[in-house]
Amino acid sequence: MTGAALASLLPLPVAIPLAGGVTAPLLARFSRTLPVITSLAALAGSAAILLAEAPKVFSGRVIAHYMGHWSPVHGQVLGIAFAADPFGLLFALTVAIIGAVLLLYTLSELGGLGRRELGGYACLFQLLLGALIGGALTADIIDLFVWFEVAALASYGLTGFFLERPIALEAAFKILVLTTLASFAIFIGAGLLYAKTGALNYAQLHDSLGRHLSTPETVALGLLIAGFATKAGLVPFHGWLADAHTAAPGPVSALFSGLMVSFGVVAISRVAFQVYGPGAAPVLGLIMVLGLISALLGALMALAQDDLKRLLAYDTVSQVGIMAIGLAAGNAAGVAGAAYHLVNHALFKSLLFLCVGAIVHRTGSTKLSEMGGLARHMPVVAAAFVLGTLSIAGIPPFNGYVSLSLIHQGLQHDHEVIPYLLTLAAQVITIAALGRAAWLAFFRRRTDEYEWQEKLRPGMLAGFASLGACCVAFGVAGSLVLRTLMAPAASGLLNPGRYAAGVLSGAARLPALRIPFDYFSPAELISVAASVVVAAVLAWGYLRIREPRVIRGLRAIHTGSANDYAAYAIAGTLAAIAVLSLG
Amino acid sequence: MIVVNYLAAVALLCIGLYAVLTRRNMIKMVMGLSLMEASTYLFMLSLAYRAGSTAPVLLSPPPGKSVSDLVHGNVADPVLQNFCLTAVVIGVAVTAVFLSVVVRIAQHYRTLDTDQVREMRG
Repeated sequence: MTGAALASLLPLPVAIPLAGGVTAPLLARFSRTLPVITSLAALAGSAAILLAEAPKVFSGRVIAHYMGHWSPVHGQVLGIAFAADPFGLLFALTVAIIGAVLLLYTLSELGGLGRRELGGYACLFQLLLGALIGGALTADIIDLFVWFEVAALASYGLTGFFLERPIALEAAFKILVLTTLASFAIFIGAGLLYAKTGALNYAQLHDSLGRHLSTPETVALGLLIAGFATKAGLVPFHGWLADAHTAAPGPVSALFSGLMVSFGVVAISRVAFQVYGPGAAPVLGLIMVLGLISALLGALMALAQDDLKRLLAYDTVSQVGIMAIGLAAGNAAGVAGAAYHLVNHALFKSLLFLCVGAIVHRTGSTKLSEMGGLARHMPVVAAAFVLGTLSIAGIPPFNGYVSLSLIHQGLQHDHEVIPYLLTLAAQVITIAALGRAAWLAFFRRRTDEYEWQEKLRPGMLAGFASLGACCVAFGVAGSLVLRTLMAPAASGLLNPGRYAAGVLSGAARLPALRIPFDYFSPAELISVAASVVVAAVLAWGYLRIREPRVIRGLRAIHTGSANDYAAYAIAGTLAAIAVLSLG
Repeated sequence: MIVVNYLAAVALLCIGLYAVLTRRNMIKMVMGLSLMEASTYLFMLSLAYRAGSTAPVLLSPPPGKSVSDLVHGNVADPVLQNFCLTAVVIGVAVTAVFLSVVVRIAQHYRTLDTDQVREMRG
């Protein structure tokens, strides 16, 4: 296909799920499962179109489409642009494909729900996926805000989906308060930027913003970062995250954790790299600090949880922190590692949440203290959970190893010793937390019998198999994935000028990045082995001692009150603005 | 630039924020958020203000203005006003969802106090 044809197809991957979402409640009148099946088809269609764009985009082109053909005149943009650059397309593809897998799983696990429930579920699910794809492809800051809001509205609905469960309502209230605050921050930030520069398009904004920012521009940057950090669940904006994941059904938690949270990371990288450019303000320093705090606090909180879903949710905070650290390293290896980790996280965290969904489906419990010995009864789920744990732990040949090595490489390259050590510490705690969970749930001896509720169904097994296979494939073919997908993605972020030219004229080509990666680097292998040993000791010790002071303190901070979480978020926003203005 | 508007927007924002941070009644928190939302609209419209400008409706010039006034851009910025329209629509939807969640919480927990509705913590 020609470039023009590919460009004119760009709105479709968003339009199809949105249309599917609107029709889903109507289709539910004809048949119970029809809405979910059509949404599967819609996502497959989206993914097919995105795949058709992929060869050209990953070879270094930026494909841009202006809605209604309001093309730029002399570098002045009037229309809303959709631009597929490698980074955005990578995320959009991840969303479409994993979204389809999650829908397939839903068909099995929640297929017994009533008409109205399945219709509404398929509607919200597709709205959320469509919004995430739109947010990944758009090149317009207000359009990004709109997709943020569409995703937010759909996520409120999905969080409170089981309205009869009180904790779902509680979680819905918290996510509403925090996301609404975030939306104000983004709205004001975008408005300030427009008022100052007269531009909305990323490319035009990048060309208008100089190296020296005026005060409104700096404030806008702080507000945008804080707003999207709320979506990403970075500390201190993370109050909603654990609760929303705990209350939602399995596939929805997987969707939130694997895909929706990453949208925040994508938006932050757009703002930090492609709109402002990393040299303009100490924005990378800010992201590094947010990332380090999130990585450590998330891992510590995960270690202390008894509820398996909550444990995975706090681990999400930690993993997003790791992505932020990679981005903040600001060099090719770090940014490519962050992009790689984003995809990996979507794969392994979805897999783990689906495992928990299956456990709930069969035993009706999410509490680790009530589980044990599940490996004997549910070998497939146990295998999938262990595979996910090994991937997060960064053990070769699974996918986490490659992305974590790249992020470590990025940190070492600039001799950022303290962030590197803290990242390693967070990694050790993460391994300990997940290892503890796997032990307690699957391998610990347990004498009393379970009350079995439901059997595993084929769609659930298909979900485990496909996500697990991807985890292995992205690990084994690390160098290939890095060269073909992640290096172009990093190139788009690190060469904002070329990206801008690509969006405005479509003529520019992103330079090919060469990122050296040694799969069998001895230092990295030794650090992995050492981390696992230390983590094993830590987990073993943690099972035997009373709760340490640090963790009790951290628990006490997470009061569960919406007022307190809002206060943390506001304090974080003010701190972000202060750091950017003073630094 | 109209200073009064900005001051009013900041005052509204602070009142709303005060309600969100200190009131434990959920309805009052929603009201606080609505106030903050209103303040963002006021702020945006104030950013769109130009001294002596006309409304951005370009059909025929209003009394006392000529076509050349419009051509030379002496109109309030329509883009920022558009943002507000978009945000108003989104805001209505969000408030509706918000209040329906609060109603269900009131039915389940028989209270609106955020301090009573925190089963999930730590």
